[in-house]
Formats: sequence, structure tokens, C-alpha cells
Amino acid sequence: MAYDVTIIGAGHNGLVAAAYLAKSGLKTLVLERREVVGGGAELDHATGPFSQQIATDLNLKIEFITPKVRVLALSDDGRSISIYNDDVESTVREIEKFSAKDAKSYPEFVETFARIGRVLAPLLSMTPPSIDQPAKGDVWQLGKVGLAFRKLGKKDEYRLLRWGPMAVADLVSEWFETELLRATVAARGIHGAFAGPWSAGTSLGLLWQAAMDGSAIGPSTSVKGGIGALTKALADAATSAGAEIRTGAEVTRIEDSHVMLRSGEPFEARAVVSNADPRTTFLKLLDPVELDPNFLSKLRNYRATGVVAKINLTLSGLPDFRGVDDPAKLSGRIHIGPEIDYLERAFDASKYGEFSREPYLDIVMPSPNVMSIHAQFAPYKLKEGDWTTRRDEFANNVIAHLEKYAPGLRDLIDTVEVITPRDLEETYGLSGGHIHHGEQTLDQFFTFRPLIGWAQYRTPLKRLYLCGAGTHPGGGITGLPGANAAREIARDFKAGKV
Amino acid sequence: MNSKYDVVVIGGGHNGLVNAAYLARAGKKVLVLERRHVLGGAAVTEEVFPGFKFSVCSYVVSLLRPEIIRELDLPRHGLEILPLDGTFTPMPNGDYLWRVNDHARTRREIARHSRLDAEAYDEYGKAMIEMAHFVKPIMSMTPPDPTTLDPKGWKNLAFLGRRFQKLSDDDKYNQVQLMTMSAVDFLDQWFETDVLKATMSASGIIGTFLGVRSPGTAYVLLHHYMGEIDGAFRSWGFARGGTGAISNAIADAAREAGVEIRIDAPIEKILLKNGRATGVVLKNGDEIHAGVVSSSVDPRLTFMKMIGEEHLPDDFCTDLKRYKYRGSSGKVNLALDGLPDFKSLPGPGAHLRGAISISPSVEYMERAYDEAKYGRFSRRPYIDMVIPSLTDPSVAPPGKHVMSCFVQYAPYNLKEGNWDEKREEFGDTVVDTIAEHAPNIRNLIRDRQVVTPLDLEREFGLSEGNIFQGELTLEQLFFLRPAPGWAQYRTPIKNLYMCGSATHPGGGIMGAPGRNAALQMLKDI
Repeated sequence: MAYDVTIIGAGHNGLVAAAYLAKSGLKTLVLERREVVGGGAELDHATGPFSQQIATDLNLKIEFITPKVRVLALSDDGRSISIYNDDVESTVREIEKFSAKDAKSYPEFVETFARIGRVLAPLLSMTPPSIDQPAKGDVWQLGKVGLAFRKLGKKDEYRLLRWGPMAVADLVSEWFETELLRATVAARGIHGAFAGPWSAGTSLGLLWQAAMDGSAIGPSTSVKGGIGALTKALADAATSAGAEIRTGAEVTRIEDSHVMLRSGEPFEARAVVSNADPRTTFLKLLDPVELDPNFLSKLRNYRATGVVAKINLTLSGLPDFRGVDDPAKLSGRIHIGPEIDYLERAFDASKYGEFSREPYLDIVMPSPNVMSIHAQFAPYKLKEGDWTTRRDEFANNVIAHLEKYAPGLRDLIDTVEVITPRDLEETYGLSGGHIHHGEQTLDQFFTFRPLIGWAQYRTPLKRLYLCGAGTHPGGGITGLPGANAAREIARDFKAGKV
Repeated sequence: MNSKYDVVVIGGGHNGLVNAAYLARAGKKVLVLERRHVLGGAAVTEEVFPGFKFSVCSYVVSLLRPEIIRELDLPRHGLEILPLDGTFTPMPNGDYLWRVNDHARTRREIARHSRLDAEAYDEYGKAMIEMAHFVKPIMSMTPPDPTTLDPKGWKNLAFLGRRFQKLSDDDKYNQVQLMTMSAVDFLDQWFETDVLKATMSASGIIGTFLGVRSPGTAYVLLHHYMGEIDGAFRSWGFARGGTGAISNAIADAAREAGVEIRIDAPIEKILLKNGRATGVVLKNGDEIHAGVVSSSVDPRLTFMKMIGEEHLPDDFCTDLKRYKYRGSSGKVNLALDGLPDFKSLPGPGAHLRGAISISPSVEYMERAYDEAKYGRFSRRPYIDMVIPSLTDPSVAPPGKHVMSCFVQYAPYNLKEGNWDEKREEFGDTVVDTIAEHAPNIRNLIRDRQVVTPLDLEREFGLSEGNIFQGELTLEQLFFLRPAPGWAQYRTPIKNLYMCGSATHPGGGIMGAPGRNAALQMLKDI
């Protein structure tokens, strides 16, 4: 056989998996549909929780930049809160402008989540144990986490148990009274999710985030040169370890021991690893007769309906955000969504197939002339019209809304690029346009991601593996699904199972 | 008065009475104190208008534990459950969905809407019964404390783990989904008929401040199948004489076991001595001493009103303040001159003998919720109606009827105005909504009683009008109900126990909290 492993998709997780597998001596080929590597990673604008361990393991030549401000939260009355990275004191001073009580709670909030995050962190880089037949190693891993859980003490243990299923709106109001602060923190519980802050289970997002980088408030770290520099570094690491990467090579079919390109060209390999989302992998690339009907029906019920659109603006000058005196404050994420009710209303629209008139916006300005906007909610399926006919209306609405916070923005705009959930599906191959390859709710989480019984990166087909965000620990630019999958695949090779 | 009891039970609702009965049967000297002039708490029948008897709050029997019926021999004490057959959902397009207990008929009815759904209905029923089997023993167990370092405490956790382990793969999958998903998401996997999903999912939101699309609402779908596995007709029924008859039967069983019951006996506070509960003081100044105090009222009343924060640990107070009530429902009780005539299925018929559900679509249900989120009652609410006088003529004068309408959403906290000002407007909204489906209703109404969430709080002692003594959301269930670390019916005050719906397994006319608490108390005392 020509290759040991063929990886479908050169997204960041596919590249991470390729690099690890090539390093372990397997002859690895990556097939990427588009002309560039990186996949959906370029849609994100903060690399935040990219795993340090992976960066070290793969000796990535990248430089992380941690801006002074993690997030700048704007309100439409011109007041704002800057939440600093690792500078609790400055943040407390910002919060004091609104509430002395909240300023007092903030340090404890930060510490509590950091503490709980440290306990959860090892879960991220482990393979979720199988509920049916937990392997010895899994039990050992889980035991370690259990022990760490015990060490948290009764109060934090119960916090963790309570918070998991709770609505994030409730969680934040237990800590803070300022609406702007509540909404800014709560937003991370719903980012990319078909959920509002009042939806139960949205606190999970904050806990998970804390596990990834110790903070509940979301990432802001970026890579020097942008996400492209990260994916390029990953591709370099993979190729220098011996992996081969082919772009412009769209896989249209997976068959027993080989994958087939659109051109009809087949590639033989002992194992096939899909970086595509679970629905694309099983429902598009495979012939359904290969799969058990029961598995298929569960997979069809895997929820992956996207709600985020991306808008990229190029600007002729730095916009003037109301109430923001210091441009340095624009270095992290900019959050628009000043109240819990505002976020909830934004969500309400999407339940009925409409996009939010007043959307929740998560913005990053990698340079003074570039603005990258995540606009939520933009449901994949619109009730009236479709994304082709309503694209401009959507973008105009977002820009008009943004003008309330940055008057004069419109006049600075040179170009507008709109990436709707439809485009996410068509251009980036994200089924349902879901940026996380599927909702990250309790029932599609950890040992249930993507499906109960299939959370170990293996699939019902012996030679087929998954390594994308549709596997544990899910979406975001962490690289962990790729690394975890590579570990399992290498293990199977070693054991002679493939 | 200064007599000494082993246990004094605060509140003569169904849980307080069950609790008292079990304690007395074990030989304890028990006194039950009820604030109102009538027993039953929210499980009560009152003659609101002359000749018209209403189950003022709770209106159907759903989950009364069969072991309680058996052990307390309730039928001998006058309990008679009459079947409530089916759910009729009128639709605005002139059609309807009418599910009955006869599976084959329901299947045919569903097939009228969708053949696929009719097939799925069989599968669904089977799966749900499996799930109900899994959940059932959890109902009658004292929740474990997962943070305990005592290996004995892990026994129950290990028991649950092993049971879960033994489920088939499909059942595990279903169980996880049921515990975490929204009712609509869960049902979407089985069915395509909108009105079917809307009506089924309604049971997931009753009494909670959640919408049918809110995660965590799927679990309640199971409750409908609990009755089935107990060998009863599904789970829904009326008590002859109204819901109060259940309370009266339990009270009768309690008295027979030696329980003393006093009505019109409101409590001022719980007596404490050296951090232990030693009895209660009534509003009239009487002191009643007892070895143990068992409170069936909610934690806010028990701890904040009857004890006071100063006697409680700070963390416990914080947890109690975080415990969510957020009443979301109201009740409209109508005295009628005749029967409503539904446009979609005119004339009197068996469809009026079951539940009548105003839940025409998932979107309708969700929009009703959206309004409540922002502090308004739903302009077009979800309504669950029953006409018990059709099955039990004793509750209304001959030829007349009583109709009980459970209405959601009616948020306790209104953004504008207050419930006393909004009462009639709310009542009108309900009548208008019904009239869209049964226009003759307007001419039939003789009298109307509107029970707002504020009334539930003031009259029935349910904080913020929550009919379950606190939201039934995952973070307030099982070992977290009512507060982390205090789910074993004990409290930080020695000799004070909780036995109401605010403890595991929660609200509804189940009686399980009262029974579980009694068993725990008997173990401890």
C-alpha cells in the first residue's frame, strides 16, 4: 500500500494529526479540497487556547501574542469595560466604574474559574473513556481527574456540579450585578451555539473555556502573522516530519481501504482519518450501506445547525468607538451585546429562522485596517428568502448596528466580505455551517461526542477515524482533537489493529 | 398549651401528610399544623362558587407513588381515581390531534397526520418505558452526596452507575438525551408532526420557567410513562371529589395511624435551642414542643421566615438565595352553564373528558415563553384544560360544569404593573385564547376565579408562585435539591428536616418527598 494514513482535510486538526502521525513513523498523506491549507481555522480570529503542549511537541515556529486587553465590552451609551489579560487590578478598576460590589467579586471569579479550569484541563487531552468497556488507561486517567476533583473541596465540587447544566445568565448573576459585565461573560457560553444565555447548559461553555486557558472570559491570544501563520507552521511541521500534503484534492468518497478524489484518482491507505465534521464524513463521503441504520439515524440527529456568520471589513482608517479613548484597548476582542436580554433577543430571532436585527458581535482588529466580525445569530436556514438573496441585507444590518458603537464606520469601509453559514458549508465544508462541527451541548460532549460509544476517534468502520472538532474536546483552535486522534491511531497501528 | 410531640410537621399539604402518616405508623407521636382552614396545600378542593367545587391549584393526579397508595391503603380511606382519557389539541386550521389511552386508536389518529410518525410512536413508547424503568427507583431513594469522603455514601452513586452500565447502548443514548436535551430537540428525532411535538413537549415545561426548546425539558416526557409501568392507566387521572380528596384520604390514613392534625394554625417561627429545633411557635403565641420539626413548606419560608438568616451558616443562606422559584404559571377556574363547543370537533364528546391542550404548534409554545422571558404574561398562552364534572358529576350542580385551566406563561415578576392590577386582563386573555377554538365559551361562563402566581404565594405559601416549590431544572434536582450538600432531607439545624416538594424528587402530587423524608428521619432518630 502506498500510504499508512490518508487524512481528509488540512484544517488545523488534520495538520496536527498529520504531524504527530508522521512523527511516529507512519507514511501520511493529507488531502485538502481547497488550494490552501488551514480549513475553517481562518474563520476564527483568536487562537486563544491553542495547546502549548502541541506547540512544543511539534516544535512549531510561531509566536503567540497576548494583547493587554482580553476583551473590550461596549455599551450603546458610550460606556465600556476593559477586561485585561492577567491584570486583575486594572480590570477591577474598570469594573469599579460600574459597581463596587462587582469589582470585589471579580478577583474571586477569576481565581475560582482558574482553579476549576486546572482540574478540568487534563480532560481535554485525554481520550474520553468508553462507557461500555473503559480501557485500563482510561480508568487511570479518569481516576486522576476524580482525585483532582476531590482536592477542589466541597464548595468547588458542588459549584462544578451545579454549573454544568445551568443557564449562563443565572451563573453570571450569581457573581455580578452590572448588566454589561454579566453579558460580556455570558456571551462566551453561547458563542457559536444555537442557544441564548437563558438556555440551560450554557454555563458549560464557560467551564470548558476555563479548562482551555484558565479564564472563563474567552480567548484573545493570537499568533504573530495571524491564523494563517499557525496553519502554515503546522503544515511545515507535518511535511518536515515526512507527511505529504496535497491541496486542490477534493475527496468525494471513502471506500474500504482507499479514498477517491473528485477526479477519480484513488489513494490507498491502511487507515483513513477524517478531519471533516461527522455528518459530512458519514453522510456525504460514505455510502450509507456501509453503516448500521441505527448509527445512521443517530448521526442524522447529531445537531449541527450553524448560527454564526463572519464579516470581514477592510477599512481606510481606524474607526472611532464611542467612549474608547485609547486605541490600545482595541487590541483584544471587542464585544457587542451589552445586556443579557439583548443576547437572548438576538437568539430568539434565530429560533424562528430570522437573523438578529441587533446581533451579538465578537470583533477582532488584527490591524487598524482590518475588522473581523463574528455576527450571531445568523441561522443556517432562513424562514424567508435564502442566504444568496439576503446576504447584503444581513451585512448592511450588521454594519448599521455597529455604527451605533462606532459612528462613522461606514465611511471608512473599503471592502466587505460576508461569509454566511451557507458559505461555511459550501466553501469550508462545514455541514450545516456550524463552526464547531456540531453543537457543544451536554448530550454531544466528552464521551458523547460525536455519539455515545464513538468518542474514541474510532468509527464503526475499522479503518476510518475522526480527528476534527466533531470529536472531543470540540471546536476552537486548540489542535487537541487532532493530537488525541493521532495518539489513538498510532496506538492501533502499534497493536497491529490496522 | 405545652404538650410534647415526637415530630411536629409544618404544613398539611400532601407531602406533610404523607410524612406524618409514615412517622406515626412507625410509632411516633406526630402533630401536623396547617395554616389554612382546609388541608391539602396546593392539592385541595374548594367550593369557590356555590355548588361548584374546584381543584383550585393542582388538578390532575399524575405521579402519586403506587407504594404510598398501597402502604397507606388510600383506597380504603376514600381515594378513587377516575380516568382522564386522552389529550385533545384543537388546531387553528380546523383540524385537531386527539390522542387517547388506546394505543391503536392513537396510532390511527397520528397516521392521519403522518404515517411515519405513527410508526415512530410505537418505537417511542417502547423506548420511553425502558427509560422509565431506569428512572423509577431513583424516585424513592435519598440522594447521595457525591462530595462525601465516606465510602458508604458512594453506595447509591455506584448503584446508579451500575444500572446505567447495564442499559443497552440505545437506552444509554436515550437516557443521556433525556437528561440533557430540550423536549423539542428530543421529539424532533422521532416525529415530524408539529402539533404532536408541541403537545407532547408541553409536559416538559409545566411549572417551569423554560420553553419547549430549552435544554433540560426532555426529561419530564418520561413522567407520562411512569404511570404505565406501575400498571395504572398512563399516569393521568382525577380524584373523585377533586384533588383535595387525595389529601383527605392521606389525612384520614394519618389520623388512623394516630396523627393529630390542626388547621387554622399558622406558624410564627421555629423554636431553636442551642442550634437545635425544639418545636414551633404559632401566630397566636402557643408554643409546641417536639423532638423533631419536619417542614413541608418551601426553604424560603422554612429558613428565611421561620428561622432567620442569623441562625444559619452563610454558605447555606447564599445557596438558599440562589435557589430559583420563578413561578411561571397561573390558573383560571371557570364555572360553566354548559360545555364548550370546539370548532374543530363540534358537539359534546369523549374529547371533552380528557385534557384539552391549547398547544397548536412548537412556534406558538416558544413564542409564549419568549414573552414571559421579558416579564409579560403570554398574550397567547399554553393552556391545559380539564372538565372534571364530566367524569365526576359531584363537583358541579346538575347540568353545570367546572373547567380548570392551567395557564402558562404567567411570570411572577411582571415588568409592568403587578398581578393584582393585571388579574382580570390575564383572565380575559385566557378566555380569548380559548374562544378562538371554542367561541361559545364566552356565553357559558357564570363565574371565573383567576389564580395568579402572586395568589399562589399569598394564599398557598408557594414562594414566587412556583407550583413545585422551586424550579425543576437539572441544577436543582437530585443531590442539588434544595441546596448542595443538603439533599438528604436534613438541614444545618439539628432536628429540623425538610419533607416538601423542594426536596428530591420534587413537585407534583407524588408524595415521594414526604415518604423519603420520613424514612430518612426514622433512620436518624
